[in-house]
Amino acid sequence: MNTKLTDMRTAYGNMLIKLGKSNKKIVVVGADTTNSLKISSFGKIFQDRFFNVGIAEANLVSIAAGLSNAGKVVFASTYAIFVPGRCVDQIRNAIAYPSRDKKKGLNVKLVVSHGGISVGADGGSHQQLEDIAIMRTIPNMRVLIPADSISVSELTYIMSKKYGPFYMRMSRSKTPIIYNNSQKFLIGKGITLRDGTDCTIAACGIMVKMALDAARLLQKDGISCRIIDMFSIKPLDEKILEKAARETGLIITCEEHNTMAGMGSAICEIIADTYPVPIRRIGIKDQFGESVRDHEMPLLFKKHKLTSNDIASKVKEVRK
Amino acid sequence: MTKNYYLIKKTALEARKLIVSCISDAGSGHPGGSLSMVEILGCLFHNHIKYDPKKPYWNKRDKLILSKGHGSPGLFSYLAIMGYFKTSQLHTFRKFGSILQGHPDLKCPGVEFCGGSLGIGLSFSIGDALAAKIDNSDRHIYTIIGDGESNEGQIWEAAMTATKYQIDNITVILDRNYVQQDSQTEDVMPLDIHSKNNNKTYTVSDKWRSFGWNVIDIDGHKIEQIDKAIKESKKTKNAPTIIIAHTIKGKGIKHMEQNPNWHGQAPKHEFLPIISTELESQFMISPSIIAGSSIDLEHKIKACKDAKADCIHLDVMDGIFVKNKTFDFKKIKELRKITTLPFDVHLMISNPLTHMKKYIDAGSDIISVHAESCNESSFGEIHDILINNNVGIGLAINPDTQLPKWSYKFLPTINQLVIMSVFPGKSGQKYIESTHSKTQKIIKLLSKHKFGGYIEADGGICNANLRQCFIDGARVFVGGNAIMGQTSVKNAILEFKNIIFNTIQNLLLSKANSIGGKDLVTKWINLHNEEKTTLLNNIATDLRYL
Repeated sequence: MNTKLTDMRTAYGNMLIKLGKSNKKIVVVGADTTNSLKISSFGKIFQDRFFNVGIAEANLVSIAAGLSNAGKVVFASTYAIFVPGRCVDQIRNAIAYPSRDKKKGLNVKLVVSHGGISVGADGGSHQQLEDIAIMRTIPNMRVLIPADSISVSELTYIMSKKYGPFYMRMSRSKTPIIYNNSQKFLIGKGITLRDGTDCTIAACGIMVKMALDAARLLQKDGISCRIIDMFSIKPLDEKILEKAARETGLIITCEEHNTMAGMGSAICEIIADTYPVPIRRIGIKDQFGESVRDHEMPLLFKKHKLTSNDIASKVKEVRK
Repeated sequence: MTKNYYLIKKTALEARKLIVSCISDAGSGHPGGSLSMVEILGCLFHNHIKYDPKKPYWNKRDKLILSKGHGSPGLFSYLAIMGYFKTSQLHTFRKFGSILQGHPDLKCPGVEFCGGSLGIGLSFSIGDALAAKIDNSDRHIYTIIGDGESNEGQIWEAAMTATKYQIDNITVILDRNYVQQDSQTEDVMPLDIHSKNNNKTYTVSDKWRSFGWNVIDIDGHKIEQIDKAIKESKKTKNAPTIIIAHTIKGKGIKHMEQNPNWHGQAPKHEFLPIISTELESQFMISPSIIAGSSIDLEHKIKACKDAKADCIHLDVMDGIFVKNKTFDFKKIKELRKITTLPFDVHLMISNPLTHMKKYIDAGSDIISVHAESCNESSFGEIHDILINNNVGIGLAINPDTQLPKWSYKFLPTINQLVIMSVFPGKSGQKYIESTHSKTQKIIKLLSKHKFGGYIEADGGICNANLRQCFIDGARVFVGGNAIMGQTSVKNAILEFKNIIFNTIQNLLLSKANSIGGKDLVTKWINLHNEEKTTLLNNIATDLRYL
């Protein structure tokens, strides 16, 4: 395992340029955060296929819908807090709802950065902790939360090839590389990063790394943990979860999101329907975030009991 | 000349009837904002939008985005009329399993945008327009937004974006009907603002102008104005155009007009026959500008325009078919330059077929030829030439001429039957009384032969006989001396309209009485506002219906 830190947004921006060269239908739309999202370089190369609509997110999302209605493959990007939180109406009615023949929803990819509390210094107003809840309840919408920059590149590529609306959340901070370049990703399929028999930890986004670290801690105590990257929150991999429930008897979910209606809740729903076992959800307990400087980030994670130690403790507590 | 003027008039009437009946059938829906945009839709579909109802996804099509999605009955009615689906399907509106959802949905062929949640459609249209630019496509996007909808901040986000990208392949039409769900727009959230700070008024048009848009203010029920504005918008380069169409919410049905209660309420079934009669009562005043002492036709046209005449009646006499001579196509061509008002051209000339093209090119909106100067073959040719040139078809008959048998087969496509109530040749003659009974007789014949046009009463029409002419079935009234010979053309036209308005009220009450007696008469009266209720009560009492 490599501990090199890389930037998800750079991976996203670079992949868009790569895709833009071969696929003339790709159009990118931003809302005054195009440098931050690393999409402005796409605009420099493909001037006619890039639009910056200003600080107007409802407009951003709806223009993206209009472009896709005319056959474009549209990537619309800004910060997470301004997309699901601000534009749920436009996302629902202009992107997810319009369906023609077998095409469900329009071909818009909402790719956002700055999800979760790891946004840090900008504070609670900017820390989107409700996006999974909002987006996963919208029919035709698919929800992805990648764990590293390799996942981001691959998922960006997959979204460009697969028709329909997607929401993908990236983190602000640089993240450790988890995958190697040959890793295959499939929408609706989780990835088992580590096998185990005593318990399963299902995580998404930057919490995947926390879960892997927790598994190493637990190994020292003789507890064998299975780790699954649930980057595809919708559709969710029912098979891998049912198998984990059957084989390990306990599931811990980890997400940088409200524990209500997020990934953990989605997993509860599946497990309740398939092979009920105890589940514990680690996440933000119905609260807002707050400002921290980057070097203070562990304090915020500690406060919300999101560190690898907290995850390990939770496993031990439940197994008692 | 406005292409298809009479055809649009005809389908607009059909659309209004369909709107009312489908909402009534559904038991819910939005009549007000559907009725206010009927002429706009008609003009777009007949004259501007490139489309193919058999291939709704044709990749060269233009797009109509109805951002004010609650106007779905208006859109659906026109889609049906234009052939996307059968008009009978409108009765599935809002019902289980229907393609005709409460608000427009892509399930329905011809629908390009799922409207309903307001404020989104303009941004959506901009996306489509930008895509067309990328593709070098000549696709044009037509977007209809509402004035209530303009409360949404996103409309103004989109307004800025369109000028930033100099989007000129979009024409936005604001259905400015001044009413939204709760109340008048200016009470809920004023769009025309008077600033107490500098004592200036800023209209919604000023707002759009300040955003850098090309702004055109029109009467949104005048087909000729809508058509001209759309043409202009398509010629405007490097800037988006918005047409501020001043309309009447609920247009065509008096008790619904400008009444917020009819923003989203279904008319009861029992009123439909009365409403249908009311819609069929739409009429036009067509002043004949050869009447009156002045010979300055330009000046007279201006007077007609100021007086809100619906069209201009142009009597062309050649000195052969009739003794007198007036003017010919050259004069019409000159007059065409000064007005968009429809030209109702009445050819009192011999051998009209040979001159047809000249009168079309001069800018006539409808050309009526005399049955006495045609036969089946020549009229057939005239008929086809006019249809191919999108000009209205008129047939005129003299007081001593019966509707010729050879004309029957043309009746479904004839737009106007001119029943002369004086012998043509000079103005100022007295109305021939027997024309009343003649018209009544002809009406019966016409409905048997599926005539779908107007009857024009021409000759000696004045305040004294107007009422009876309307009852006979005439809907276009040529005003000679009774209008153009008066000191105030405006007052004369106003008086014409008042007489007809009162006649219509009588007609509707009598319809109510004939189908539902006193009970329905009372219910019908109670639909109206206080002022009108008093008037209607008086009429109904006089008629002994109450």
